Amino acid sequence: MRKIAILAAIAIMVALLVPAMAVAGPKEIKIGVIYPLTGPAAAAGRELRNGAELAAEIANNVMPKVNMTMAKNAGVKSLGGAKITLIFKDHQGNPQMGADLAKKLILDDKVVGILGCYYSSVTKTVSAVCERYGVPMINGSSTSPTLTKRGFKWFWRTTPHDKWFTKDLFEFLVGLTKGKVKGVKAVPMAELKNLAAACEKTEWGSNVSIEIANFAKEYGFDLKANILYAAKSPDLSSEVQSMIATKPGAMLFASYTSDALLMVKTLKSMKAKPKVVWGQDAGFDKPEFRALGAEIEGILTRSVFLPSVVKVKPLAGEVNAMYQKKHGHDMDGASARAFTGLQTWVYVLEKAGSTKPKAIQQAANTISIPGNQLVVPWVGIKFSTKGDEIGQNVLGNGLIGQYQMKDGKIGLEVVYPFDMATAPMIFPFKGF
Amino acid sequence: MEDIAIQITKSLVSGLLMGLVFALVALGLTVIFGVMDIVNFAHGEFLMVGMYTTLLTSPLLGIDPVLTLPLAGITGAILGVMCYFGLIRFLIKGPMIAQLFGTFGLMIFLRNLALLFMGSEPRVIHEGWLVGKSFIVGPGVVLESTKLAVAVLSLVSFAVVWWLINRTKVGKALTATSLDAEGARYMGISTEKMNALAWAVGGASVGIAGGLLVNFWPVEPGVGLLFTMIAFATVALGGFGSVRGALVAGILIGMIVNLPPVWDAMMRLVHVSGLDIHSFKYTMVYAIYFLIMVLRPQGLFGWKQ
Repeated sequence: MRKIAILAAIAIMVALLVPAMAVAGPKEIKIGVIYPLTGPAAAAGRELRNGAELAAEIANNVMPKVNMTMAKNAGVKSLGGAKITLIFKDHQGNPQMGADLAKKLILDDKVVGILGCYYSSVTKTVSAVCERYGVPMINGSSTSPTLTKRGFKWFWRTTPHDKWFTKDLFEFLVGLTKGKVKGVKAVPMAELKNLAAACEKTEWGSNVSIEIANFAKEYGFDLKANILYAAKSPDLSSEVQSMIATKPGAMLFASYTSDALLMVKTLKSMKAKPKVVWGQDAGFDKPEFRALGAEIEGILTRSVFLPSVVKVKPLAGEVNAMYQKKHGHDMDGASARAFTGLQTWVYVLEKAGSTKPKAIQQAANTISIPGNQLVVPWVGIKFSTKGDEIGQNVLGNGLIGQYQMKDGKIGLEVVYPFDMATAPMIFPFKGF
Repeated sequence: MEDIAIQITKSLVSGLLMGLVFALVALGLTVIFGVMDIVNFAHGEFLMVGMYTTLLTSPLLGIDPVLTLPLAGITGAILGVMCYFGLIRFLIKGPMIAQLFGTFGLMIFLRNLALLFMGSEPRVIHEGWLVGKSFIVGPGVVLESTKLAVAVLSLVSFAVVWWLINRTKVGKALTATSLDAEGARYMGISTEKMNALAWAVGGASVGIAGGLLVNFWPVEPGVGLLFTMIAFATVALGGFGSVRGALVAGILIGMIVNLPPVWDAMMRLVHVSGLDIHSFKYTMVYAIYFLIMVLRPQGLFGWKQ
């Protein structure tokens, strides 16, 4: 009898202990975060860091006011409430330095995985290091299409890339012809069919130019002029003349800041008057461009996060308010995507319930985060595991904003995706 | 065919205007080279200073940007004289390589000074008599007011400099200094003063050019490079030290960079697409420049060997 009692007591103790042992994972989960914290992109680096830190703060604490799953738990629940610790490193825009830092994080700091790196060139070298060591890497903000075309097994990208953004433009143009755009009646295709594009001739602009040509064909538009111009050119009048001569319905641009300013000035002086003017972010979405004020009213630009999103996405408003309080300004494309990158890390770890690379890999490949959990206006996050884009989030999309004057101030209103429109679109473009 | 005729007219007009802009920027460079045999790498930074002078003084004084041109000219002249007495005077005693690196260093210094005080963001003038104005003078032929003003200023400046050099006593002294500085000194010409004058004239002309250009072009600390690369090609093409050469070469380059729309119109006529020559327009400029350098090293109108 006594033996039975002892055995029963042992059995009960074992029964109680086993689950406890099973959930007794690590107390902290170290994620290496590599961003350009100094150098030419230091301003973006600061935003990226702030975005990632805010996501970690929400993940590590219970925040009932924030309506997202990771705000309901303190730490990663499936790992016994282990807290996320971020180890920041500064790559200064240098791909070699990025690779060295990644090795250091993996070998010395023993990080569970990596987040970074903003610059596509640095993401390229860092992800190669991760691939070699079999360490998972999530990328939130590099948009070179080639990054997910390498068939890497340890690399996942949450942000849409330039190809997707260009596709958004054509979805939008088709939407215009079908009356899907808020405040605009269906526009006859004949009015928009002719397109003219001018892109700067570095890797970025050249790629955008190719994507525009491909999508124009696919969507049945006629790309009458597809010009590549030397970036930082002293004169853009010949480009603008050639574009105007094709009588385009829409003019499309991929330009950095000073080119974008000169382009608008030249378009204005040459009295260009297309129905639509669109810029692929970069120079068209900078404070210096906004300083042109009423001159740019009606111009469209693609973006990934606009403060006006909060009007249609309350969760973005909640997180943006926290960000505002901490840093004194709204979130932007950099901080919102860094936030989402780290958030994805938390959800993947939660699903994996382990810090072992294999388990994380499996969790990342099968994860599905719904759009209502995100601050960015995407359908969700789900990574492609086959085809020619391994590790790319297939549920992401960009925004198209239009510059509009409100109370004497210029600002961007969302016009695409159609169900997220924050204001009726001004159509046609009224001219400069 | 009508399309091509219109396009040729448009390209001729905008080529002429842009050519006169390039020529004006190159004028100061050729004057300084003509007198002193020095290539001023910081020339574009003088232009940048002229642009910032107008950008800053116009709102400060509450006057139109065009009215600040004398200030931009004076600033350019003072900067030129300061550079001469503070740096160039010592450099010319050294070997050629010291002069090259010296003005190169001056370029880096001025650019970083601008970066420190003005920041790296491009800035534009939003309002003014010339800002955003243009006139339609024919079917699709547009005259942009800023470029037109720069073109007029360019012609006036060339006339003044030509008159100064060829018709005045000071001009003769400048020419004498440039031909044989030692001989000029024996004749009682203060070559020091002549050199300083060349830097003042060069600085003033490019300063005024900057003051006008900022009505259309965004200004940032690196803006000088956009124009100096072309200015060097202009000066070399026209002939080092030749005022007339700079004018002709400037216009020639303006015409070349405005060729692509004519080419596009021709391609449309024969229904061929896909051959974009816009990205090669500056390659064409430098190809012609190389050709001239090989066939006629002294440039089109150069007289210095």
